Amino acid sequence: MGHRTIVARTRQAGSASVRLLPVSANDAVMLRATGLGRRFGNLWAIRNMSLEVLRGEVLGLLGPNGAGKTTTVRLLAALIEPTEGTASIDGLDIREQADAVRATVGILTETPGLYEKLSATANLDFFGRLYGLDAATRAERIERYLRLFSLWDRRDDPAGGFSKGMKQKLAIARALLHEPSVVFLDEPTAALDPEAAYVVREAIESIRRSGRTIVLATHNLYEADRLCDRVAFVRGGLLRVDSPADLRQTLGGRGVEVGFAVAPGPAIVAAARRVDGVREADLLDRRLIVGAADPKAVTPALVRALVAAGSDIVDVRERATSLEQIYFEIMGVQPESDEAA
Amino acid sequence: MRAGIVWTILRREWSETVRNRLLMSTILVPPMILTIAPIAVSGLVGERSLPPDFAAHILAQRPEWSTFSRTELAGAFTVQQFLAFFLLMPAYIPLSIATFSIIGEKQARSLEPVLAAPIRTVELLAGKAVAALVPGILAGWLTYLVFVSIATVVYGPHLLGVVTDPSWLAGVLLLGPAVGLSSVVAAVIVSSRVNDPRVAQQIGGVIIVPIIGVTLLQATGTLLVGASGYLVMTVIVLVVSVIGLRAGVTLFDREAILTRWR
Repeated sequence: MGHRTIVARTRQAGSASVRLLPVSANDAVMLRATGLGRRFGNLWAIRNMSLEVLRGEVLGLLGPNGAGKTTTVRLLAALIEPTEGTASIDGLDIREQADAVRATVGILTETPGLYEKLSATANLDFFGRLYGLDAATRAERIERYLRLFSLWDRRDDPAGGFSKGMKQKLAIARALLHEPSVVFLDEPTAALDPEAAYVVREAIESIRRSGRTIVLATHNLYEADRLCDRVAFVRGGLLRVDSPADLRQTLGGRGVEVGFAVAPGPAIVAAARRVDGVREADLLDRRLIVGAADPKAVTPALVRALVAAGSDIVDVRERATSLEQIYFEIMGVQPESDEAA
Repeated sequence: MRAGIVWTILRREWSETVRNRLLMSTILVPPMILTIAPIAVSGLVGERSLPPDFAAHILAQRPEWSTFSRTELAGAFTVQQFLAFFLLMPAYIPLSIATFSIIGEKQARSLEPVLAAPIRTVELLAGKAVAALVPGILAGWLTYLVFVSIATVVYGPHLLGVVTDPSWLAGVLLLGPAVGLSSVVAAVIVSSRVNDPRVAQQIGGVIIVPIIGVTLLQATGTLLVGASGYLVMTVIVLVVSVIGLRAGVTLFDREAILTRWR
């Protein structure tokens, strides 16, 4: 990785015959897309996408079906060519150096795409050969990743007999076998049961801990919230990219949620609104939703005011806007259920 | 094109092929039948002879058979019909392997991870094509060797010369591989459009029609194709295959596979 960065700098200094994107003064940028777009027939899958992903960062790609997440992943992994714009991975241009980009990235496709009649070892060995790993390296890494994902004991079993979670873990091991700088994970937990999804999320956590740059395309907002440093909202292009915390700060609200034994009346709501630091207060069934910039500071006075107004409080908890709510706001859609909002 | 990558793909193809019982049965059983059938039919022909007019018609096309007795001539004519069998093997075996391979990968969605590796699609296509082609050609040649060995015992020296004459050698050694190549090309083209190996084989099976045509021409005595005839057919099949290969390569493009293959 370091060597490639040096090569890129040398070329930028003037000896380059190969066109490279300028390497940023900040070497921390691992992936850079500039005005990226891809059209299929008359339909633009994505357009005008510009973003940067830092080394070791986990970026989530969020968006509805058909938003262009998979197209974005395929473009950035140099599987398909952009119609317009360009991108680079670790200084390698996805158009001009597609083979080198493919050697630098690892990809978990939407479906595991394993050879089901072959064993776990044979599956990995095949890909190790495609990536040009020698026999000793293949053997060492196959054992390391199969052990990491708890598949070592099943190494000689045909992949077709594995559970969905095991298949997904094997596919992740395949994506990591050549030790890529950037890992693209396309819907890694889609169609998995909760147990398998948990196992796969743990596997992603282990990749994250290894310091690799990860681009995670997902529908699962909980997953994005838990795993991603930043999330990019995509629908035919990039709508917004930010960290979940910053999104909550700028788009969402924070506050306190108070539960009651019986549904409180308007007097309770009015009492809450009079407390210093409370921005708003609304009832939702037996719960009072209170907006406040600093929930911890406002909670003692709020509880005193509500008890003084005659309410029977059963629980009080801090409330933060969910990524789901932010998703709906950015995508400009309204969930059908009030409670979901 | 890197031979190491092609070899890696070819090895993987064969590893999966030998684990596919259905595919293996379709590869192994017919050659056995096609080897035994000519011997059995020749046994049924036994001591019978051809009608005089028909025998004269045959001898006009194959004067080198004029030294044969009437029964030997009947045997030679019968045996000659089976040359087409040795063209069927390089036709249907590559078709079976290639359609199972390509459509199997479409269904399992296993091509995308392969295409995400730093390989060229021409290497992938070459690996798959050779993996399908070689068993078909080898099956045709090996079955022919077995057939010739048995013929030595069963038919005697006269008829052994029939099954090793230039027409057979040209048919088995040259036209067979050419037919195999056309079969792989047909498999690639058809497999890119359909999602069921059996449907692909039925459509791709059209490749066998010309072989049946040659068989019928020979069976009716209309035309006993000689070595030059098989050489001409080899050239025609190769030209058609190369034209088809261009279409196949276009269909086997990385982007086409990822975005258009459904």
